[in-house]
Amino acid sequence: MDDKKAAILSEIPRLRRYARSLLRERDSADDLVQDCLERALVRLDNWQTGESPRRWLFTIMHHLFIDQMRKVNRRGEAAMLPLEAGEAQAAPADQVETIASREIMDALQAISPDRRAALVMVAIEGFSYAEAANILGVPAGTLMSRIARGREELRGLLDDTSRRRSIRIVEK
Amino acid sequence: MTRHDFSERDIHMALDGELPGEERMAYDAWLEANPEMKARSARYIADRAAMRAAFAGVMDEPVPARLRQVVLGEAPVKGPAWRSRWWLSAAAAVMLALGGLGGYVAGIDGIARGEGDDQLAEQAIAAHVIYAAEKRHAVEVPASDKDHLQTWLSNRIGLKLVAPDLAAEGFDLVGGRLLPAGDQGKAAMLLYEDAKGERISLYITAESSETSKGTYTAETGGPEAVYWLDKGYACAVVGSLPPERLSDVAKNAYGQLVAGISS
Repeated sequence: MDDKKAAILSEIPRLRRYARSLLRERDSADDLVQDCLERALVRLDNWQTGESPRRWLFTIMHHLFIDQMRKVNRRGEAAMLPLEAGEAQAAPADQVETIASREIMDALQAISPDRRAALVMVAIEGFSYAEAANILGVPAGTLMSRIARGREELRGLLDDTSRRRSIRIVEK
Repeated sequence: MTRHDFSERDIHMALDGELPGEERMAYDAWLEANPEMKARSARYIADRAAMRAAFAGVMDEPVPARLRQVVLGEAPVKGPAWRSRWWLSAAAAVMLALGGLGGYVAGIDGIARGEGDDQLAEQAIAAHVIYAAEKRHAVEVPASDKDHLQTWLSNRIGLKLVAPDLAAEGFDLVGGRLLPAGDQGKAAMLLYEDAKGERISLYITAESSETSKGTYTAETGGPEAVYWLDKGYACAVVGSLPPERLSDVAKNAYGQLVAGISS
């Protein structure tokens, strides 16, 4: 196996984690990673040897993610809502989710894809602002405002969730 | 202490390791002097810890073989239909986002309607008459794509829908489709077929606020509906089977549906 492929293989766990935070559902996340890897292998020449493939791969995956999210929005599918999709969506079979984990995963899915990607890129994946801005293809100021808005929105949703839970308890 | 004009923006920068080292002490002093900002910073730190913890397990999961195979060039060639199924779940996630907020309000207001029985049975029968007669276009998603069918319909109707296994009754799942229910709700229709080509359909909706059960046939004749209404969900089983047989199939289907919804 050549070095390039070995280096790409070693990035798969991180790509999967990023995809999971973007899409939540395991199979869908792995489909996104697979799309990303396929595209990467076709464009192997675009990657400068000696450089970590991490940013290159994250950039490819992010483009795939954002392109598809825009298409989904254009179709207007977002207008159709379940009441309790969080309960309707099955949890990944092999992953025991604590209530706290499930709540934060649901809340992450509820913020806009642009903000979710920016926040996750920095808060979970540990990229610097400069790196993340580069991967997402936005100016640093835009990245910072997405992160700030994303965090505020996430916290607001978590506050709502705990309020809703206490209302349910009162109702019983 | 060269700077004293810190703002909320600096909370994010500090958290993300972007605050210049020489400003750190002044920032910490500013936090101490602003309890509200300090509390906000603490909440964001806790949220980040929760986010990291929620996805930490992914790093330890074995890499799926199909992903390794792509990199190693051993992947089987995929058909064009495979491409990018993941965005379907992205669409569901967008709905989850909006539903999380909208559902909260709807849940409190409730939906108080009275004539639920007849309306449900009539709609279920109407759907059955139209679609069960279609040979090639009876369903939108075929049983061969059962997982997607269940996820899709579950997300649309807001109930966890598990298609009942009616093989013991001699019926196999053909597929399903999304339909309107009530005035502005949605229903899932699941179509089944036996070896002789006889079809029955299950009509499931979350649009129900009363508790009731019974059977219903239009005055003009036609297929019969066996239905159950409960608060939060309702189900009708429609077909032209002998009444006793339909009743047996319906009970079996209903039991599995309820088990699925509350699983």
